[in-house]
Amino acid sequence: MRLRRVPVCLMIAALVGSPAARADDGVEFFETKIRPALVEHCYACHSAGAKKAKGGLRLDSVDALRKGGDSGPVLAAKGGAGLILKAVEYDDEAAAMPPKGKLPDAVIRDFQKWARLGSPLPADAAAKAGPATGDAAKAKDFWSFRPAVEHPAPPTFRPQWATRKLDHFVLQKLDEQKLTPAPLADPRTLIRRVYFDVIGLPPTPDQVEAFAADARPDAYDRLVDELLASPRFGEKWGRHWLDVARYAEDHSTSESTCKPPRFPERYRDWVIGALNADVPFDQFVRRQLAADRIAGLPPADLAALGFLGLSPVYHKEPKLSQEVVAGIVADEWDERLDTVTRGFLGLTVACARCHDHKFDPIRTEDYYALAGVMANTQLAERPLKADGDADAEALTTVRARLIDTNMRVDYAKEQKATALKAKQDAAPFEQPIKTYEVALKALKEREKTLYAGPIAPGVRDAGTWVTGDGPAWTVIDYTPDAMRNLPVFLRGNSARPGAVVPRRFLPVLSSGEAKPFTNGSGRLELADAIVTDAKGLTGRVFVNRAWGWAFGRPLVTTPSNFGRLGDPPTHPELLDDLTARFLKNGWSVKWLVREMVLSATYRQSSRHVEAFALSDPDNRWLWRAPRKRLEVEGWRDAMLQVSGQLDLKAGGPSDDLDRPGSVRRTVYGKVSRQRPPDVHRLFDLPDANTHGEKRGSTTTPVQQLYFLNSPFVRKASVALVKQVPTADVPPADVAKALYRRVLLREATATELATALRLVGAEDGDDPAAWELLAQILLASNEFLFLN
Amino acid sequence: MPLDVADPFAPTRRQYLRQLGGSVGLLGLSAFLPASDALAAAGLPKPHFPAKAKRLIVLYMAGGPSHLDLFDPKPAIEKHAGKRPGAVDLRTERVTGGLLPSPFGFKPGGKSGLLVSDLLPGMRECADDLCVIRSMHAVNPNHSPAANFLATGRIDAVHPGVGPWLTYGLGSESANLPGFVSLGNGFGNFGFERSGYLPGQHQATKVSSKESDPERMIRHLKNPQLDPKLQRMQLDALQAMNAAHADANGHDPQLEARVRAMETAFQMQSAAGEAFDVRKESQSVRDRYGSGEFANACLLARRLVERGVRVVQVSNGDWDHHAKINANLRKKCGEIDKPVAALLADLKQRGLLDETLVVWGGEFGRTPVSESGDGRDHNHFGFSLVLAGGGVKGGVSYGATDEFGFKAVENRVSVHDLHATILHQMGLDHEKLTYRHSGRDFRLTDVSGTVVRDILA
Repeated sequence: MRLRRVPVCLMIAALVGSPAARADDGVEFFETKIRPALVEHCYACHSAGAKKAKGGLRLDSVDALRKGGDSGPVLAAKGGAGLILKAVEYDDEAAAMPPKGKLPDAVIRDFQKWARLGSPLPADAAAKAGPATGDAAKAKDFWSFRPAVEHPAPPTFRPQWATRKLDHFVLQKLDEQKLTPAPLADPRTLIRRVYFDVIGLPPTPDQVEAFAADARPDAYDRLVDELLASPRFGEKWGRHWLDVARYAEDHSTSESTCKPPRFPERYRDWVIGALNADVPFDQFVRRQLAADRIAGLPPADLAALGFLGLSPVYHKEPKLSQEVVAGIVADEWDERLDTVTRGFLGLTVACARCHDHKFDPIRTEDYYALAGVMANTQLAERPLKADGDADAEALTTVRARLIDTNMRVDYAKEQKATALKAKQDAAPFEQPIKTYEVALKALKEREKTLYAGPIAPGVRDAGTWVTGDGPAWTVIDYTPDAMRNLPVFLRGNSARPGAVVPRRFLPVLSSGEAKPFTNGSGRLELADAIVTDAKGLTGRVFVNRAWGWAFGRPLVTTPSNFGRLGDPPTHPELLDDLTARFLKNGWSVKWLVREMVLSATYRQSSRHVEAFALSDPDNRWLWRAPRKRLEVEGWRDAMLQVSGQLDLKAGGPSDDLDRPGSVRRTVYGKVSRQRPPDVHRLFDLPDANTHGEKRGSTTTPVQQLYFLNSPFVRKASVALVKQVPTADVPPADVAKALYRRVLLREATATELATALRLVGAEDGDDPAAWELLAQILLASNEFLFLN
Repeated sequence: MPLDVADPFAPTRRQYLRQLGGSVGLLGLSAFLPASDALAAAGLPKPHFPAKAKRLIVLYMAGGPSHLDLFDPKPAIEKHAGKRPGAVDLRTERVTGGLLPSPFGFKPGGKSGLLVSDLLPGMRECADDLCVIRSMHAVNPNHSPAANFLATGRIDAVHPGVGPWLTYGLGSESANLPGFVSLGNGFGNFGFERSGYLPGQHQATKVSSKESDPERMIRHLKNPQLDPKLQRMQLDALQAMNAAHADANGHDPQLEARVRAMETAFQMQSAAGEAFDVRKESQSVRDRYGSGEFANACLLARRLVERGVRVVQVSNGDWDHHAKINANLRKKCGEIDKPVAALLADLKQRGLLDETLVVWGGEFGRTPVSESGDGRDHNHFGFSLVLAGGGVKGGVSYGATDEFGFKAVENRVSVHDLHATILHQMGLDHEKLTYRHSGRDFRLTDVSGTVVRDILA
């Protein structure tokens, strides 16, 4: 039996999709029980996809169901037994269906119940299925699929407020909502905010003072340009991207077929480098999907392939049946396809694995057309050098064969031992053991001759076939010279293949007809389609993510779902216009960040207005700057910096974040799918087993225990006190210095009094006493939140 | 610490707070007081219908205990010992030989006469409280996918476990303790603890039951360099600072939530210190559970459910008996029988068993045919799970495997059915408990699952 991943959207289809369909009117029952049964058991002969609909009967649309076939209507009028029910009941009055065997009793009971309910059907088939069944032009007219175009700045009451074009769109909405923007944030607040948002670190007190004293009109612009030019920028924005790419350095388990990849950090370092170099986003996408297929790239760019090369791998036990292993492999393809489509296109294509997407114009065939690309993409180590294909081939095949041969020799030995214990003839196993051992020895010799220069985990083109090698061994064959197309797996079940679909892009996003891919696996064609045909959507999805990373709340609050079930944007023209200009400015991510953080919208204060908070509690209309809790990387890096411990050494193998000695930026900490470190687990790093749509922001007591008691925070408190002279310094001055260093401001008189009470004025030169205060500052909301 | 802790903090805490920040009143003093359990309970999500069980204890025997030697006696194996009839020719993980009879006897227990192996005399004494499902079946014979499946309803390591689903659906009754505590270790345990796409606070709090000192059991529970009085003062100063900050920032709920969480964390240090300390139990109670990590964990499980923890997972490894099953199984049963029996009896005696659903079992069972001569291979086609309490019938077995115990054939219960039943007993409709992720509404039971009503009391 194969585990089928049939999504629950079958169920919600009836609830959400059509105004005519209510949960209690039986349509839901049709959608959850009857339609899936029809798809699985009847479509092969009775659908538009069948060569010729048998008996003139189609069961794949509501109209056709109502109409019936050559034998007349199939549904009874008033809750009686119609032809369809008689057929599945194998009643003598109808042709027994399906002909090859009676349906399971439970399914027949479903048909009986459905008939009793009066065979309810969705009222309006076209509305129900969303754009899927509408005509192509209409499907393409959905807001997120349209080309992104610039809009003129709308008229507003206070146009002089705006500093960038996007502000006019924000102001227009504020006017409509009868809200007013907040005044400019004071320089100290603003510099702290922009430092964290652009480079992920706080400014030093000196930097704050210098900025506060800088009276030049372009002081802020200069500051932003300086930050964008800092190598710290890539470390901050690269980490955002690593969530999307579900970057990790191992797999959920580590059996012989899913051992951790070597040098995973090379992908992480490539992402950081690419953002620092402001590689245009369209090229950023292309290289991650297909650097190996792009001529003329420097070999170092092959590390970009880690986007797919570090995909989660599941154990594929060769002793399991071909059917089971094929299912696991299909799950891997599904995860990759899901990450590519949600990550770049904001589309939940994986919903169409078992049936046509219920809401978006994505058919099951479209899913398998794209899954086919993954079925020709093998995870493979890539030498970071020009013309490395032969070395890649050797690395990949030798290592794969080593794993396989090792497993085979173990298995043969196991068979021999079993035979011996059962006092049976063990001789038949002697020869295979010998053969495998000889092969193993040869492979180990060959392994020594393999390319030993720098490599990175990546992919290469190879058709992927799950085949049975004898009754007891399932192997996965990779054929670099033969690509394959996938059949549709009926209801997502790889053991039930349907019609084969050529690899191609999603028709709804293609300009013109979606042509079959012909260049190897089709990865490059896919990447090209994503950044050309679908550039409006791809651009919007990225601009929206970037907006969320800068402003704390994306314009579309479902950043990886720009389909009908996603949220529409709060500011559609803004998103459209900013996207169009992002594309026009060469897909420059730095341009985009600059545009956002230079805006008046971004530079507002986060002041509170009770009336505004009542009418817009989520600050959807941006009547102030949002208050953001620093992400784990932000506060952890900041603690290291203010306590003088931060080591800015960039790149290379990862640190173990659970070890107190780990003092590099958090982005250089190991990300694990198997054993995430405390700070990742506790502080909302998305589970790297799957694409991370956005960061959560949970607040739990266990997190606070970390601030109160963890060795990391305690060590930071100790180190922080060492940064401030205490010997022979008046206690008030020590307290002031700590406040300045951590909170970048002067302590108030009340705060000073509190601080001195806490440390005890008499014993102020004992560092341990100051550590109490230091820890408070590090654990305070003021330090952890960004105004 | 050289501080004079008596003087500047001599006034009561409230006075002190007023003195410190002067703004505490604006935030509301109650925010600084420990949230009572009643308050916490008031904000809980509502179950879909009245629950039979309020809490769940999962005793997860990682590796796959042999149903054939423990709960599902099969005389036919004896009759065909060493032979390999067609019915046992199912493909499992490894090479298997002929039928391997169980060397252990089965005897009826309690008034019900439920058959339980001689290896589990303690559990047999609880027979009238046990519901043995003999017709479990799953989908994959490998440990990690099978453990994921039992924990989350899927084989891939992505989805939330049943524990996180329950705290997501029902919240936690205890303000000072985590809603889901995971004790012990066993391969595949992580799937049960995973919150997956559910919000992070639903993941299990891992507690090491190897230790008996709570400070060593829970990460970061205590600050080893600060005595609690001093830490209280430090926290008061911090909270005063946070109060002033919240006051200046429009009472942002995010800020206040963290203030409250900080206070709860402080309370948790002592509450957890108390709850997690089995040394607080009388010697006679401790003797009933026996000694060792698993015994401690079972006793802890009782202490925790008693204090309102929603889900406790106790994992126990090394049930993967590919060889020498006799000796190994005897050893494992010796380790768990007494604590499990003590837990059931203890819960019952305290009137907690009615409201606490206990589930015992592994990710699959084992083959009737031998492996390595004297072991058994993995078998997901048919195996047993044991339920107790929580509104489930006692003294019954449900469903059946084939004559050799390989495949579930009668009243088959899938893992999804089990999940649907657990949720049902906890007051949740498995089709309604959904979470929107990746454009879809996900369920613990995927698209299947039927509540096994025949076993409900």
